[in-house]
Amino acid sequence: MAEARKSLIKIKPKKFKDGEIVKVSFMVMHPMDTGTRKDKKTKQIIPAKYINSVKFNYNGKEITNMTVWESLSTNPVFTTYMKINGKGKLTVTYTDNTGEVNEKSKKIKPKG
Amino acid sequence: MQRRDFFKKLGVVAAASALAPSISFAGAPVSKNAMPYKEALNAITGGKVPTASSKVHLKAPEIAENGAVVPVTIEVDSPMTDSDYVKAIHILADKNFNARSIDVNLTPANGKAMFSTRIKLGGTQNVVALVELSSGEFLIATQSVKVTIGGCG
Repeated sequence: MAEARKSLIKIKPKKFKDGEIVKVSFMVMHPMDTGTRKDKKTKQIIPAKYINSVKFNYNGKEITNMTVWESLSTNPVFTTYMKINGKGKLTVTYTDNTGEVNEKSKKIKPKG
Repeated sequence: MQRRDFFKKLGVVAAASALAPSISFAGAPVSKNAMPYKEALNAITGGKVPTASSKVHLKAPEIAENGAVVPVTIEVDSPMTDSDYVKAIHILADKNFNARSIDVNLTPANGKAMFSTRIKLGGTQNVVALVELSSGEFLIATQSVKVTIGGCG
């Protein structure tokens, strides 16, 4: 595990019931450098550094997996929907092209 | 060298320098993943022809002031049951070095076939949403986005 990045999992609406379909957003602070851009001051090429894989895991089951290319914006956001299926944990694992692996998880507590 | 030849050569140099923007563009470091749009489309569909469908709702701005941040939302009308669901959503930009932006593999556990993110666009071009259904069918939706400042500088 490399340096921890600032990341966030957001679920909308905040209060939800079992069986409800909710909106899940995952945000991460990441440069997403394409490797084709030059530093204006040093005239050096900024090496490529981008997320190439994101996985959403809910209670040990993979819900969504994504293959990401460098053309996503800096500090990317991934938004999708998810069906609540009991108490548990949502874990997002993301991998970098330089081999950096990070993880973020959020407890899921449906009410009612 | 005669004066006449000298001017001829000068003309060649001037012509070359006029073309320089395109030359330096080609000489710039190109990503290892660079893949033109048609190739990317073929790689994903495996030669199948995607059909344009009104089931795919692609939401992107018509004019993006900043190409570095272009919000794109794709929604597909699908029941998302075990027998009929959206298998994958691909976002492509047809003039980027690497036409592929993201491939999202969905499962019935998602409940709703929707994906939203922000992408970078190098210039004015079409954003393409390619959707793969569980039946193996491909649907497509396209929208042109006018970019005033490129994002892949």
